[in-house]
Amino acid sequence: MERYADLATDPTFPSVRAWKQRTGGKAVGYFPVHPPAELIHAAGLLPVGVMGGGTRVEIDHADSRMQSFVCSISRSTLELGLTNRLDFLDGMVFTTICDVARNLSGVWKRNFGGAMMTELLHMPQQSNHKAAVEYLRAEYGRLVARLEALSGQAVTPQRLADSIALHNLGRKRLREVYAARAEHPERMSLAEAYVLARLGCVLPKEEHIALLDEALADIGARRAKPRDAVRVVLEGSFCEQPPLELLEIIEEAGCYIVDDDLVVGQRWFTGDVAQDGADPLGSLAEAYVNHSRMTSVRHQGDKRRSETMVGRMHDARAEGVLFVSAKFCEPALYDFVLTKDALERGKVPYLSLEFEEKMGAFESARTQVETFVESVLFT
Amino acid sequence: MHFAGVDVGSTTTKAALLDQDRALVGKSLLPTGANVVRAAQQAFQLALDEAGLEEHDIAYVVGTGYGRYKVPFGHAQVTEISCHARGAMRVFPGTRTILDIGGQDTKAIRVSPSGEILDFSMNDKCAAGTGRFLDAAATVMGLTIEEIGPVSLTSSAPLRITNVCTVFVEQEIMSHMSRGRKAQDILRGVHSAIAGRSLALMRRVGIDPEVTFTGGVSRNPGMVAAIEERLGAKINVSPLSQHLGAIGAAMFAVERAQGSPAPRPLVGELHVVGGH
Amino acid sequence: MEAQTPMQSAATPPMKSQDAGKNMQRQMMAQEYDALARAKQTKTPVAYLFISGNIQELFRSFGFLVVYPEINALQCGIKKAAGPLILKAEDKGYSSDVCGYVKNDIGLVMQNNKSPMGDLPRPDLLVCNFSGCNTYIKWFEALAELYDVPLVMLDVPYVRDGVIPKQDIAYIVSQLHDVIATCEKVTGRSFDKAELSRVLALSAKAEDKWCQVLETATRVPSPIDSFFEAVFFMAGINIFRGTQACVDYYDAVLAEIAERVERGVGPVERERFRVVMEGPPPWPHFRAFWELFKRWGVVCTAATYPKVGGLFDTGLRHDPSAPIESLANYAMNCYTNWSLDKRAELMEGYLKHFKADALVIHSVKSCRSFSVGQGDFRDAFVRGKNIPTLLVESDLADPRYFQEAQLRNRIDAFFEALEHRRLTTPAGGAL
Repeated sequence: MERYADLATDPTFPSVRAWKQRTGGKAVGYFPVHPPAELIHAAGLLPVGVMGGGTRVEIDHADSRMQSFVCSISRSTLELGLTNRLDFLDGMVFTTICDVARNLSGVWKRNFGGAMMTELLHMPQQSNHKAAVEYLRAEYGRLVARLEALSGQAVTPQRLADSIALHNLGRKRLREVYAARAEHPERMSLAEAYVLARLGCVLPKEEHIALLDEALADIGARRAKPRDAVRVVLEGSFCEQPPLELLEIIEEAGCYIVDDDLVVGQRWFTGDVAQDGADPLGSLAEAYVNHSRMTSVRHQGDKRRSETMVGRMHDARAEGVLFVSAKFCEPALYDFVLTKDALERGKVPYLSLEFEEKMGAFESARTQVETFVESVLFT
Repeated sequence: MHFAGVDVGSTTTKAALLDQDRALVGKSLLPTGANVVRAAQQAFQLALDEAGLEEHDIAYVVGTGYGRYKVPFGHAQVTEISCHARGAMRVFPGTRTILDIGGQDTKAIRVSPSGEILDFSMNDKCAAGTGRFLDAAATVMGLTIEEIGPVSLTSSAPLRITNVCTVFVEQEIMSHMSRGRKAQDILRGVHSAIAGRSLALMRRVGIDPEVTFTGGVSRNPGMVAAIEERLGAKINVSPLSQHLGAIGAAMFAVERAQGSPAPRPLVGELHVVGGH
Repeated sequence: MEAQTPMQSAATPPMKSQDAGKNMQRQMMAQEYDALARAKQTKTPVAYLFISGNIQELFRSFGFLVVYPEINALQCGIKKAAGPLILKAEDKGYSSDVCGYVKNDIGLVMQNNKSPMGDLPRPDLLVCNFSGCNTYIKWFEALAELYDVPLVMLDVPYVRDGVIPKQDIAYIVSQLHDVIATCEKVTGRSFDKAELSRVLALSAKAEDKWCQVLETATRVPSPIDSFFEAVFFMAGINIFRGTQACVDYYDAVLAEIAERVERGVGPVERERFRVVMEGPPPWPHFRAFWELFKRWGVVCTAATYPKVGGLFDTGLRHDPSAPIESLANYAMNCYTNWSLDKRAELMEGYLKHFKADALVIHSVKSCRSFSVGQGDFRDAFVRGKNIPTLLVESDLADPRYFQEAQLRNRIDAFFEALEHRRLTTPAGGAL
């Protein structure tokens, strides 16, 4: 597990560098949350999730370019770029998840656009909307053209269909991991499930799936004593990644995290991308517009956030909500107010914790979670 | 004829007196305290006493620092950015980048060979990376501000300090102490963290050699070592570092009195009368 | 560059056009807020809209009154009423790190929309024209829950690469048809395309005049301050566009400027430095901020913030002959909806066209759309193009984030150095 954790979070991307050396292929990085890994794969390129510098990157250069009061992941990602640690990437894809990410793509373009293909996709804020699907399909088409130019390989409908099928399989395996966990949370910590998902950011999809197959067999064989823990929904960790230690501490302090928005590993759709149509690019666009998981980075149409949270809690049989969001994360900070108001109306216990990807001291978080658990258990 | 510069900072007030050859004939330093005007007057008087001069011997006075408009006997006000640059170049003519870490703010300044300010950047919003950060660390560890530098130099295994906030770094230090970590390793980590922030600030203006370190914190050998380590090069430090703002102001006083806004060629080495 | 026209002497006749524009605007604003206060009484439908990408002409054609929560926040800032409102929102749970405009507005809602400008009406429609600012979405999602009113999304793609692809316009046009259908339902009236065209024709007229106003700043010395005065001149084009009153307003402003040119007066006694200003103003400390620059004889000859409601000076015009497409095209071409490289290009063009000596960037904590990446602009201009650039920080809405001493220090140091450079450079020139 430790070896996998290292591999998944290492900002030097050893597995990607090794892959490049082995195959002579090209790699295209992406910033959270929604870049279509399927398209990158279909063009014969390796999709690489660049999820920030984690605990290992000192920000010495990037602060002066961005702004002081913004999330660490935007700054650490720029820092990786400015210190030439991402020069093995041949491209970088951003999506319009928030103003900070959007502007980061602009800074990226000025500084690295000459060295690597840089693209920003405008992800529609409409749901269940035909014009939005058409629009996104056209946006995806723009990206495809640039990816094809980069790899020299055409993205034919067949290649695209195959990539979608492969990524669907990966998503299916992750769903199985999570389902196994939901049934027996004592057998696997969330941190472990998270690492398995996050490996999907750095490994070729085929390897990732093989690893997940192994993991599933392993979990099935485990036996452990169930704990008297509080079932909680984790909300707010969709972009900047919480340190593994924090996820471990939350569960050690007496919780089972039974639902979360840690959408790494392309877990941002509620189901599979449709594979039956004659237009795979259209199907991929449709999946985003109509079947995305609810996170703070997109508007959900008529569905109110507060209502959706209550529904999620119900589906996961959760007793409370842990808002665990990155410091300065604007989308999470706004949504927190609406959601917590709904929870208060429904007398649902919740706790709000802020984290930074590079935090090193967890005593305060542990104490707060323990207090939360105590108050829930004694009610 | 003599000329004076008075640098009224948030923590300390300094005065410097130059003769017409720009030799340093007197200087002083005292805490600013609550009464800024009185601090300016006292600093001025102390410097006069050291030089054996009277107020009427001073032809022109330039005030600088945050309190520069509160120097009632000043003839002109110049920002401490310009003054630090001028003072640093007076002592180290090869200076092209200045790092000034004061009690409450930090500045990076890049200058041309003729002393013109090309670019500057300030961290004036928060205490991280300023002298205040070191004060907090010293307090929490039960050491004096003079001790922490030398102690930090005895460490061979610095700890990584991750908090940038002065308030939270106290917690982080206490956490390390409770886990039995060595004081020197903690301190070296603290110095390294400040050096990191200083370098980040300097990079905003661009780092051209030679780098001159000014301000009260430059008297801390641990800080000098930490910055040199991060920079990968030696930096200029002077025993006069706290007075460079006042010296620069006095230099402007000379120029203003002589009616010339253009920078004059530097006249040899700075002569220090009275020793220090 | 030094001013060349002599000062006005005591014996000359008094100027008659000064402040005519200001007075007219004051009247227009008062009338507008009065109409809003009586909206329920008069049974006038009310639509809430954002400034960037504001398709107000469509709503005018339907007879809506439009409320701009951003303008309400701005007014509260100027009237020094923002502080308590922001605190109210923070008590409710909003972080100190989210936009002060939003918190100001939430504070107003929490006190039943009783504002320093009068009573504000509830929305019948929340139209989220998402152009250039992601926070807009969160803002109206909050209002949708607080008012229990549906949110109509108008998703406007971000302008990258400078060329707008056909699919972007098509997407917006398709959504506009949905908006029109919703308007018909809410008002009970049919869409009147002819009326929309009529309104758009008036918009185009006002846009021409607004551009003439901006262009006067190419003059040396400049008769106007293109930031500190333009943020008031822009009220016309931002919220009264599409009306005859807006056209008349700009005629009054142009007359005022012409008179200033004739008399050789301008925003400062002696113009010493010309700058391009990037970023919004600190509304709660507007005068104090201006003073920090005035004391150095600084005049802003161009600015980016007055273009948040439309980049008309780049040639953008509403086109009555293709009304829906025109609205779509307009919605994309507002300053914060342009990518950073296009913004930098615009600033560089301003520096040349308006003969500026330096770039000043006012970075505001609240607005990430504007501010994230401004440090990179600074790097690009100072190191890449050798253009003196000053970066200062405060906030546009929250009165707490304004440190006058620190700002003065930075501004003084910058102009001190510029002045020194000017005095010692052989050519005596600015750069």
